[in-house]
Amino acid sequence: MKVKINIWHLFLSTLIIILILPVLWMILSSIKQEADFYTVKLFPSIHSLTFSNYTTVAEKIPLARYLLNTLFVAISITIAKLITSLLAAYGFARFNFKYRDFIFMMCIFTIFVPIQITMIPNYLLIAKIHWLNTFPGIIVPQLADAMGIFLLRQTIKSVPASIFDSALVDGANHIQILLKVLLPIIKPAFIALGALFFINAWNEYYWPFLIISDKSMYTMPLALQLFTSQEGGTQWGIMMATATITALPTIIIYAFFQKYIISGFIKSNIKG
Amino acid sequence: MKRYLPVMFISPALSLLFVFIFLPILFTIFLSFVNWNMIEPNIKFVGLKNYINLITEKHFWVAAYNSLLYAIIAIVLDLILPYITAYAITRVKSSWHSLFKILIFLPTTLSLAVGSIIFLWLYNPVLGPFSYFLKEIGYKTPIGFLTDYHLVIYSLSIIVGWKLFGYNVIILLSSLLNVPVDQINSAKIDGATPWQIFIHIIIPQTSPTILYAFFMTIVLNIQYIFVPIQILTNGGPDYASTNLVYLIYQYGFNFFRIGMSAACSIVTLIIFIIFMILLFKFIDKKVYYES
Amino acid sequence: MAKFSRQKATKIVLSFVFVTLFILLVNLTTYAKVITIEYWHVNSNNFGGPAVKEIVDKFNQTHRNIKVIAVYQPNMYLGLMQNLQSAISAGNPPDVAQIGYQFLLYATDNLPHYPIYKAIASDRDGKKFISHFEPNILKLGEVNGKLEDMPYALSDPVLYYNKDMLREVGIKQPPHTWAQLLNDARLIKEKTGNYGLYIQEPADNWAQQAILESNGAKMLTKEGNSWKATFNSPQAVEAYTMYANMVKNGLALHAPWDQGMQAFVAGKVAMAITTIARANYVEHNAKFSVGTAMFPTFGGKKLRVPAGGNALFIFSKNPEKQKAAWEFIKFLESPEALTIWVKGTGYLPPRKDILNDPRYLKPFMESNPLMEAAVKEFPYIVPWVSFPGNNGLQCEQVLLDAREAILSGKETPKKALDSAVDKINSLIK
Repeated sequence: MKVKINIWHLFLSTLIIILILPVLWMILSSIKQEADFYTVKLFPSIHSLTFSNYTTVAEKIPLARYLLNTLFVAISITIAKLITSLLAAYGFARFNFKYRDFIFMMCIFTIFVPIQITMIPNYLLIAKIHWLNTFPGIIVPQLADAMGIFLLRQTIKSVPASIFDSALVDGANHIQILLKVLLPIIKPAFIALGALFFINAWNEYYWPFLIISDKSMYTMPLALQLFTSQEGGTQWGIMMATATITALPTIIIYAFFQKYIISGFIKSNIKG
Repeated sequence: MKRYLPVMFISPALSLLFVFIFLPILFTIFLSFVNWNMIEPNIKFVGLKNYINLITEKHFWVAAYNSLLYAIIAIVLDLILPYITAYAITRVKSSWHSLFKILIFLPTTLSLAVGSIIFLWLYNPVLGPFSYFLKEIGYKTPIGFLTDYHLVIYSLSIIVGWKLFGYNVIILLSSLLNVPVDQINSAKIDGATPWQIFIHIIIPQTSPTILYAFFMTIVLNIQYIFVPIQILTNGGPDYASTNLVYLIYQYGFNFFRIGMSAACSIVTLIIFIIFMILLFKFIDKKVYYES
Repeated sequence: MAKFSRQKATKIVLSFVFVTLFILLVNLTTYAKVITIEYWHVNSNNFGGPAVKEIVDKFNQTHRNIKVIAVYQPNMYLGLMQNLQSAISAGNPPDVAQIGYQFLLYATDNLPHYPIYKAIASDRDGKKFISHFEPNILKLGEVNGKLEDMPYALSDPVLYYNKDMLREVGIKQPPHTWAQLLNDARLIKEKTGNYGLYIQEPADNWAQQAILESNGAKMLTKEGNSWKATFNSPQAVEAYTMYANMVKNGLALHAPWDQGMQAFVAGKVAMAITTIARANYVEHNAKFSVGTAMFPTFGGKKLRVPAGGNALFIFSKNPEKQKAAWEFIKFLESPEALTIWVKGTGYLPPRKDILNDPRYLKPFMESNPLMEAAVKEFPYIVPWVSFPGNNGLQCEQVLLDAREAILSGKETPKKALDSAVDKINSLIK
């Protein structure tokens, strides 16, 4: 029995080292001096490590502003997507109406649609209603995401119908059922979805790149572009420092919610 | 009032999807039949010409083939390997679980753009650690991770696989932890080997999740692989790493041939629809349901 | 106290009213005349961003009736073009934008703009302004003989070399010709095991055009009324074969641009051919002594190097804004502004007169010997080939595919160039 455990341990440890290596490289690079990138040595000496990349980033860009922008956008998107997804999932799971399954399939279909197809038409629309460079312009188009509907519908379907029925018999209306009966049961899955929404919204690049030209409205992924230039060469150390700063909130959010994320998927009992 | 209740529940999400996804698709369908750069006032209607040009281009078929290849590689990297990993986690003491879960998920929290840039350095044929390691074990010639026609798809798949790995492990782990312990125990009492338990109990019990993960892996991979292609290879060398989504982008945003981009979009969406229909039909037949 | 007479009160009130009205009027007229224009650029923080800010601030201070707002576009000239295309289709284009030379023809043919020659014609000082620029530089902005845009940022490809490594193997001077370069590369490989050369491989064909055309080939030739791709001529095949053989024999490195430059700066490649705009980056990060030499020649043949960088286009529709845009462009091209620009980016100035002027760029040139080679190439600068028609931009991709096929050894230079010529001719017809 002991031998078996060792094999799995070895396998996992190797795997994890391979997975973590790039992340470690990023963090190591962010405290390297620029010239140290261009040596063949894999690890620079301890003495030449420096935090100057971080101070440069803080000097050159309004870091607090960008972090707040990104936070505001990510939280707004997360909350709005959670609400609309939950309502829609409840509608699909608990009601029977004409064309229900067909409409649901159409929603699932939208998950396949790559952003490259919808980018330009949405840009033209946003420009027409004068929402360019505004928070609504950044946020609203990103709310169109059926992934949450898919996941939450599964979750709701795994809750025994009897729970809902007895609540209805007791005279509750649907909103009360949603908030007071359903939500406590599916809380882990709900939080798990929210964490995932947040991480994706935080890292989103293509849509903000198109919509935002006002530097004061930049989100962190756009700020990354401020230190790269194909013509003049890139400052890798500063770029990695920006990348590390960008990654920190998502890592913290995940570490904080990881208990929920696991049990969230257990509870949702993902079926086909 | 009661009749409209479901409509009220689904309308917020549905209107968003309609305005920001379906309307653009309709606009794209229109664009695919014209020759128009969206600026000049005259719009030239060209019928099926864009579609014909598209289908007769060799690199359309290369892109389609690559898309399939990427999907197959993704299944190995992001379904089979994570499943084994999740199983491995269940076989070690649960006090390690939290640590593993956090470390494995770390790559998923990074943006794919950052991941691509990290791998740009790692893949450097002269300076990168991979090349260094290969040279140490005897490979003299430099490996062009991003310039070799055959290697490049794997190089890019590894980047996306790396990012999605943790997410899939988490999903599959939850499902594995959910397998009824009493079934396993009674099988053990009956003398079943771990391998038999794995094949006859664990896999069927987790099959719904496996299929969900399969679906999401394919869908996410199609979207995600775009980022490393755009940042690292631009579809090259010579279309060796391109896929359908990148082709859509290339026609529209590099060549500014919007009609072609739109035609490619519509063809790609049709392929996805067919795939989706087949997949859901397949799911209905093969999945083991609790009820 | 004297009695407060009614007359006096009226006088005070009236004068107060008049003064107020006068102040308001002055403010209104000056306020009404401030024209705001948008300037799109690609200069990130580490590549000219501060220079752009300095120039724009200076302009705004000295031109009280025009306000320039500078907008950074990520992802260089391609990213700018993508956003420009969207902005124009939405009906709100910028007023002035930096258009990369590779997009010149596309922009001229497809994007409504106010041509520079019209701005010059309606400007009293127009002719005088234009007289400061060399004809071959102005030619860069011409389409069908007309000056549609104003050449601004200028770069050319130079040969960077690792002085220490060359000296180590006994090479005293950097190579002038390709024959010499081949010899040097062989020596480097024998004695140090390092690569001799890296030629930049970005998502464009700029450096490769220099190689082909310096051997006497022509990318595009006009035949009658139409253009034909002609880069599969014997001279072109000869030049590309030499290049491909260097890669095959391990003398030249074949890798994406970033990776190749990383290898050079790390001292694993002896020489690198890339844009002069990278001079700051190379010097700053290299631990060895860096030198630049002119792009190698093929024996005695005349050098032809394409211009990189950008030209300024005016996209305003409103005549007042067009005028303001033209004023801003003239300022951008003034000696003072160009001095700040060149120092901040490493681009060459589009006018030669300020290079030797001690008030402007002479001190900078003296303390930056790396720029010398780039300046020496001035007379040999030719336009970067743009392909005509709606599919012009796709033609660049065809050239890239050919480059990949040749350098990876998948196809012979002759075959790859032949099929590329066929493909391009079918796209531009």
